Amino acid sequence: MGIEHNQWRGIGLDRQVQPASSNPVIVNGEMLAMWRGENGPVRVWEDRCPHRGMRLSFGFVRGDSLRCIYHGWAYRTDGQCVEIPAHPDLTPPKTICAASYPAETRYGIVWTNLERAAPSPLPDLGPEDGWEPVRSLYVNGSAAQVEAAIEAFDFGAPSMVRLKHANAIALGIGVELELLIALQPVADNRIGLHVVARGASTPETRASLARRLQRLRTEIEMAQEKK
Amino acid sequence: MVATTDTVARNEWVPCGWLGQIAIGTNLDTMIFGQPIRVARIAQDDYHVVELSDAGTEGRSLPVQTRYNCIFTTLGEPTRALPEISEFDEPDRRIVGCGSVGVSTCPYRLIENFLDLAHLCFIHKDILGDPEKSEVLAYKTEHRKEADEIWAVDCSFYQPAASKASTSGQMTKYIYRVMSPFSVMLYKTVNSDPSRNDAICVFIQPIGETQCLAYMPMALVDDVSTDGDIIEFQQSIFLQDRVILENQRPALLPLDPTYELPTRADASSIAYRRWLKAMNIQFGILEKQAA
Repeated sequence: MGIEHNQWRGIGLDRQVQPASSNPVIVNGEMLAMWRGENGPVRVWEDRCPHRGMRLSFGFVRGDSLRCIYHGWAYRTDGQCVEIPAHPDLTPPKTICAASYPAETRYGIVWTNLERAAPSPLPDLGPEDGWEPVRSLYVNGSAAQVEAAIEAFDFGAPSMVRLKHANAIALGIGVELELLIALQPVADNRIGLHVVARGASTPETRASLARRLQRLRTEIEMAQEKK
Repeated sequence: MVATTDTVARNEWVPCGWLGQIAIGTNLDTMIFGQPIRVARIAQDDYHVVELSDAGTEGRSLPVQTRYNCIFTTLGEPTRALPEISEFDEPDRRIVGCGSVGVSTCPYRLIENFLDLAHLCFIHKDILGDPEKSEVLAYKTEHRKEADEIWAVDCSFYQPAASKASTSGQMTKYIYRVMSPFSVMLYKTVNSDPSRNDAICVFIQPIGETQCLAYMPMALVDDVSTDGDIIEFQQSIFLQDRVILENQRPALLPLDPTYELPTRADASSIAYRRWLKAMNIQFGILEKQAA
């Protein structure tokens, strides 16, 4: 797809990944499973059980293990298979291991990198505290279209790009509000936006922001249709 | 879609319709191995199958056989005959069709799912398995060279409700038989008469490499259930499997034994994949094997 491999991309809002859940995510056509144990941080794995290829995003969580729905094989948080129900007395060989991707949670956003062996560090996008989740949304459009639309969009007060990174934009809106938007390339013409805000102190402010973002999506998709 | 050039696949018999599915004097247009075909019912038991061009014009005629409630055809010159399944000839057997079910995956994932004991207690929980009794006991696999079939024998598994006729849990004994790359069956303990086996077949019509229609004719010893009950039971089982089958990645079957890692319970799948590799089949295979 011509997009550089070693890049951190936001793939979801930390608060929206429920404890004991597994969820499908696509980055650049790569199918991933984003899951969380009953406790602890979000993990990002290849969406494929090493046994017979079943998607692990269909799996179920028991304690801090993700189990494949097909045969119940249990994988520890480091990916190692620790139980094969068909053979309760067998210690699974070390070779049976789910493929994991780097995963970090920062600014209330879950980030991953398709470069598994030697990922660059997660870029510094400013201070970490005070961010509140607004919403995630998926838009039909190219990354360039989405970025341009964000920069031109009316957020209800004068906005200014404070920082632009390969897959994230930070905006100042008015005097108090800051937005951080992580862009997730799903496919060539589909982009996920994961939005957090700082200074949006009341739930009403965040709800109003979420509604505006819906308008942003409509604008991008209407501009697409005109072409 | 382009018709496969893989002669190994082309030389197999595959189903292309149910007996009685087509009204006399009418046609069914369908596809096998990417090749559009027309199945015409000329008279009560007389079916003709022809290739169709992309423009829809009729081309060469294909061989036809009718058996096990299905219409079979082939694009090539089969060396393997249709399997003999004697249970279908026993006079007191219930022969039930069950319709055909479309599944978006390669034919081999369907066959492997049918052969698989370990999934029964998870995917068919409380019916064909109990998660508390998940162990798969050792069984034997055989390549029966004279018929060139793969068999798995001495299989057993605890089942809470093994069939429509079940009233309680039991250790069900199974024998599996893979008759061709695209057909499989099992023999399963009959509830009321342990000396006899229900025979349940799956014949797969490969429409394309990752698109199949599965036909499930059965020869059962069951004078209690209605056809409707039996069909509903089998279809509900099949729909539970379809969710799995359509979400395995990749959809094409990998034959490299390090790409997907099996365990002892997968002995039948291991034998099946080795057999597919040895016959150098390429249609629907991830690696496409040697050209």
